Amino acid sequence: MSTALRVEGLTKRFAGVTANDDVHFDLRPGEIHCLFGENGAGKSTLSSCIFGYYRPDSGDIFLNDQPVHIASPMDAIRLGIGMVHQHFALVQDFTVLENIIVGTQRSGWRLNAAEARRKIGDICGGYGIEIDLDAYVWELPVGKQQWVEILKALYLDARVLILDEPTAVLTPGESAILFKIIHKMCQRGMSVILITHKLVEVMQSNRVTVLRKGRVVATLDTPRTTPDELARLMVGRVVSFTVTKPDLEPGETVLAVEGLNARGFWGEPVLKDVSFSVARHEILGIAGVAGNGQKELFEVLCGARRPAAGTIRLKGEEVAGMSPRQMMDRGVGHIPDDRFREGLVPDFSIADNVVLGWQRSPEYRRGPFIDRNAIDGLAREMIAEYQIATRDEKVAAGKLSGGNAQKIIIAREFLHASGLVLANQPTRGLDVSVIEYVQMQLLRKRSEGFAILLASEELGDLLNLADRIAVMFKGEIMGIVDPRTSSVAEIGAMMAGSRPEAAPRKERVPA
Amino acid sequence: MLWTAASFVIAVVAGLAVSAALVATTGADVPQVFGALLQGAAGSPKALMTTLIKATPLILTGLATVIAFRAQIWSIGQEGQVLAGAMGGYLGAQLLAGLPPLLFFPGVLVFGMAAGMVVGWIAAVLRNSFAVNEIISTVMLNYLIVYLLSWLLQGGPWGETGDTVSYHQSPMLPEAAFLPGLFGNARLHAGILLPFLAAAICALVLSRTPIGYEIRGLGHNPVALRHKGVNVGRTVICIMVASGALAALAGAVELFGVAHRLRPDSLVGLGYVGIIVGMTGALSPLGTVLAGLFFGGLASGAVYMRVLGDVPASLVPAMQGITLFFFLCAGVIARYRIVKVAAQ
Repeated sequence: MSTALRVEGLTKRFAGVTANDDVHFDLRPGEIHCLFGENGAGKSTLSSCIFGYYRPDSGDIFLNDQPVHIASPMDAIRLGIGMVHQHFALVQDFTVLENIIVGTQRSGWRLNAAEARRKIGDICGGYGIEIDLDAYVWELPVGKQQWVEILKALYLDARVLILDEPTAVLTPGESAILFKIIHKMCQRGMSVILITHKLVEVMQSNRVTVLRKGRVVATLDTPRTTPDELARLMVGRVVSFTVTKPDLEPGETVLAVEGLNARGFWGEPVLKDVSFSVARHEILGIAGVAGNGQKELFEVLCGARRPAAGTIRLKGEEVAGMSPRQMMDRGVGHIPDDRFREGLVPDFSIADNVVLGWQRSPEYRRGPFIDRNAIDGLAREMIAEYQIATRDEKVAAGKLSGGNAQKIIIAREFLHASGLVLANQPTRGLDVSVIEYVQMQLLRKRSEGFAILLASEELGDLLNLADRIAVMFKGEIMGIVDPRTSSVAEIGAMMAGSRPEAAPRKERVPA
Repeated sequence: MLWTAASFVIAVVAGLAVSAALVATTGADVPQVFGALLQGAAGSPKALMTTLIKATPLILTGLATVIAFRAQIWSIGQEGQVLAGAMGGYLGAQLLAGLPPLLFFPGVLVFGMAAGMVVGWIAAVLRNSFAVNEIISTVMLNYLIVYLLSWLLQGGPWGETGDTVSYHQSPMLPEAAFLPGLFGNARLHAGILLPFLAAAICALVLSRTPIGYEIRGLGHNPVALRHKGVNVGRTVICIMVASGALAALAGAVELFGVAHRLRPDSLVGLGYVGIIVGMTGALSPLGTVLAGLFFGGLASGAVYMRVLGDVPASLVPAMQGITLFFFLCAGVIARYRIVKVAAQ
């Protein structure tokens, strides 16, 4: 059988770590082939070798059964391989059109924007992609930015397209559209390598290759496998997908938000009359597509952004407009969504990150000096308690995987918070086993009597964890629903902007 | 560690080699020129003393650079702050004249540092309140201070006037205002101890205190610091004020220890070379001390080189530039290792 792309015996080592060990992989023309595995299983290394970012230590790559030598992404692009990264490589101050044609000149010095516009217009029309070519990238929601990346690959006549975690930033609706278009690409003869660790997406592929610790565990025909089998292959053990949530009566109100408004950089409203409350022993879920005001809401609540109007009462005290310091001193813990940017100093050690924000606290100081022993000891405790995989506490946080980095933040915030934890997308991009762990920790805090505000783009997680779910759309809360009596379809519709018709508004009035 | 040290040694050798090529272009005898340089830098106790005296202000301005650059605050204001420090010290000397030395010298140095702190504070406030880039504001402040000093000395209240001419300098300070010498040597002024003390304090503050943690954190990830409750604006003020104080101390020590009168030409360049010293020292206090001694040696040897080697002394700034260039390269190379990989 002919293959669009074939990898034979590929091995790639980094200092001391074998990221890919004798990997065999083949991609048939017109198929969607999933690379499935936990973070660090070697999916990204394999695709980076195919795209020319890394040079494999050994092994061969064949394109249309011809051996090829791919020394750089430029080679890969010339051979018709395109890749869309998890983190977009877009110029924010360029328009969509400019981003697509930048660096792709084939006509020497001439920009030839008119011809490019025509070609991109044809591609969009053919696939039913709606995008304003003259919009600036910073104006676009994240979901649309991804189209720019995909269009760039299509514009360069890619025959093999590698998508690295493409739905990490998409809503269920946007993901569905993405998959529709991927299927259309395959019908036209393109082949797609889809890197993911979401089972739902794997099930939409033709075949799946499961990687664990750099080795291929299995290559399966997707229709002939089950999510349970795949999860077991990926983790190497049986995993439970639903954490059990004990029934708890909510206690007194901890956080009460009334008529909260906030404005963005250009003065545009980003939060509109947001009202809700969270009580002890309660998790209030915030559902919604990324970019609908969740980030701004969390920033206002943790003190990093000033509200334009409205009241925020924390245990009865008015705290609107207070600084992050004041909120932290009042026992508010914050797990931000951009963990390496807002939650950690990546160049600092794990130990230093465990006390980030609390470096002036008397318990970590001896006289005017930082008490190194106390901090290192605390960090070792946290590493043990939260099962952070690391050599020791002196390793830089930036060298850890996303899951382990997230555990540092969780350890720190849980240690210092009392009463309220704000968790924005705490499980985004994490492995199944880590997600399970984070969820258990959140439930533990709930049992301890914390009030928890939990925003997640994974509706399934919210349905499992939250006591009530507030749905956000364009900075507004469309409604607050009971997960036990609401369906995914109902909440999905609210995420797209419709208000619940008969849904009872069970908003508690703050005490 | 060994590799890091090796790469910096290689940088010195490479820097000297390129410098040698440069010297050769002047037609001079290269070994003779370098011999003179070495002799002038470290060939005799007197040469070593000169090196130490020349290194003193450079280490201090280097440390001023370290404090700011570690937080990724690109202050170029050391040059003006050196002048401000000398001016503040001179003013202090007028006001505190007659005090016993144990009060007088600390007093005038505080006056000097205060002037530098004000300059640093202005740049910090401009940055915090009006988002003025500190590179712009400090460069502008440098000009402002240069011309202020010029006015003060030429026709202004501090100028020395002869019968018919006015000199671009102040009158000599009274001898009581000369920094006392060490070991009975009047030239070896007590101020040479200050850079070492300052470097030790900087090292301790940066690595062991909460404010040092915040300075380093600011350099790595200001967003996370702000989210975790650090008052970034206040930290920037602390950094700029401390940096200004260090640079100004260089100016004040130079005034009371070496020049003994306000004379711009003895101060010009100390701030800018300090930036090179701090960078060459890899923005570490210890490295800055070593780099400062190295550049002090170059400055001290330059005189010998010109006299004995018959080459222009302006070769020295060129050599400083070349050395910095190779040190910056070494800083990058030090991050890589040559690793032996087992054969397949």
